[in-house]
Parts: sequence; structure tokens; C-alpha cells
Amino acid sequence: MTGELNREFEQLRDFERRDFERLFDEHQSMVFSLALRMTGDRGLAEEIAQDVFMELDRNLTKIESAQHAIFWLRRVTMSRSTDALRRRRVRGTDLWVEINESHGVRELESGSPLADRIEALLATLPEAQRAAIILRYQEDLTPEEIASTLGAPLATVKSQLQRGLKLLRAKAESQLKEYIRAV
Amino acid sequence: MPFDDFENELRDSLKREPAPASLKRKVMEARQNRAQLHLTRTSARQRSRMIWFERIAASLVLAGVAGGAVVGHYAIERRKGEEAKQQVFTALRVTNHAFEVMNEQLQRRDKSSQ
Repeated sequence: MTGELNREFEQLRDFERRDFERLFDEHQSMVFSLALRMTGDRGLAEEIAQDVFMELDRNLTKIESAQHAIFWLRRVTMSRSTDALRRRRVRGTDLWVEINESHGVRELESGSPLADRIEALLATLPEAQRAAIILRYQEDLTPEEIASTLGAPLATVKSQLQRGLKLLRAKAESQLKEYIRAV
Repeated sequence: MPFDDFENELRDSLKREPAPASLKRKVMEARQNRAQLHLTRTSARQRSRMIWFERIAASLVLAGVAGGAVVGHYAIERRKGEEAKQQVFTALRVTNHAFEVMNEQLQRRDKSSQ
């Protein structure tokens, strides 16, 4: 009787493991990229992604569908990233030194030089605007979906998107002149 | 670079990046460790629960034995009391019979003397 129960328990764990691994494989890039663009630090982003997936593992039984999993992952990632940034602000420059030593601040290394510069400018935006812009242009979410993900009023999100985009455009126009001239 | 198409440029810049290869290994290891820890804690809890069950069962057995002994002792004492009572009654009957015999003899002696 106990052996049978143990076998069923093992089978259940095996199903859960496969579910978790599938979700991890599908969404690791999304989670990592969100955390990376929010924090600007690869090491920290990896830690956040790890925390998020461990949290997912703990809450796997509460996930109702594939869509719910994506929504849940985005929401928790944004929340964890905000927490990490808050902790970094509280600890101040010491942490920056620590991060530089242990992880290395993110280097611009993705696509075109212009894309890298734009991404670097994005890191200079206020946190709330950055979050809205990332969800809008990385994840292609509507303002309603962004509001739902961040748990913020729709009007606030629309305003953050508008102001963030305007600020980013202004920064790009003033700081990327050399590139414009070169092109 | 004209910025008319700034939003498209932004979208291209913000394409998802692949996660580092070490992430999956770290997550799977952490998951495995947590499952192992959970299993250890569960079996420790089960062991502790079993010990408590054993203690409760031993207490119940002891209480049963003590109760049985008390009840048995009471029954023996009662039976002894009953036996003693019967002995007293028998002695009383014997005495009574002896008195009756004596009484008859005394009555016969009185009649013969008259």
C-alpha cells in the first residue's frame, strides 16, 4: 500500500518536473530579458530569474493555463526587479562596487550599435517609465495588459508610456547625433 | 538615422535576449536541493509523529493494564467478602440449631420434673 502511494507520488513529481522544465525552457529568455532591462546587470538579472523560477516551482499547482503562467512570470519578474532596485538604492554605492566586482555591469553586446545605445539610454529612464516601456516594446503588451501586469491604473500606465517615450526620444536625439550624422 | 520610426527601432532594440546557459543548471540544482530538503523534513516530521503515536499507544496500554488490575483486585476482594459472609451465615445457622436442640432438651427436662 505504502509502496503504491510512493510510486504515485513519484509519478506526480515527475509530471510536475516535466511541466516546470517545459515552462522554464519556454520562458527563461522572457524572464531574464525583463530582469536584465530593469536592472541593467546580467548577474543580478540571473539571480532574479532564478528566484522567479523557484517561486514558480512553489506555486506550480496554482497556475491555471499557459496564459496565466506568462502573466504570472511577467508580474513576479517585474516585482522582483523593482525590489532588487530598491535594495540597491538602500545599500547605495557599496552594492554597485560589489556588483561590478562579482558580476560585472552589463556590457553593450546585443545587436546593432544603435540598438545598444538606445538600450543604454533606456536604463537612464525613471523606473516606472522604464517598466512600462519594456513591457510595451519588449513584450508587445497593450497599455491595459501593462496596467494589469504592474497592478497600476490604466491612466498612470498610459502617462508613463507617453512620458517615457518622449524622454527617451529626446535623449536619443541629443545623445545619438554622431550616429545620425554618420548614417 | 531618422527618428520617425523611433518606436520600431526601440522594438528592435528590445528583443528578448537568451538567458545564460548557467541559469537552467542553477535553477534545476536549487529545485533538486529544495525537494531533497522537503523530503528530509517530511520524513523527520513523520518519524516524530510515529514516536508520539508510540508514546500515546504505550500510555493507553499502561492505563488499560492498571485499570484492569484495579478492577481485578476489587472483584477478588468482593468475592472474599461474599465467602466470609456465607461463613458467618453458616456459623449462625449452626449456633441457631444448637440453641434449638438445647431448648428442646430443657423443655423435655422441665416436663419430666413436673
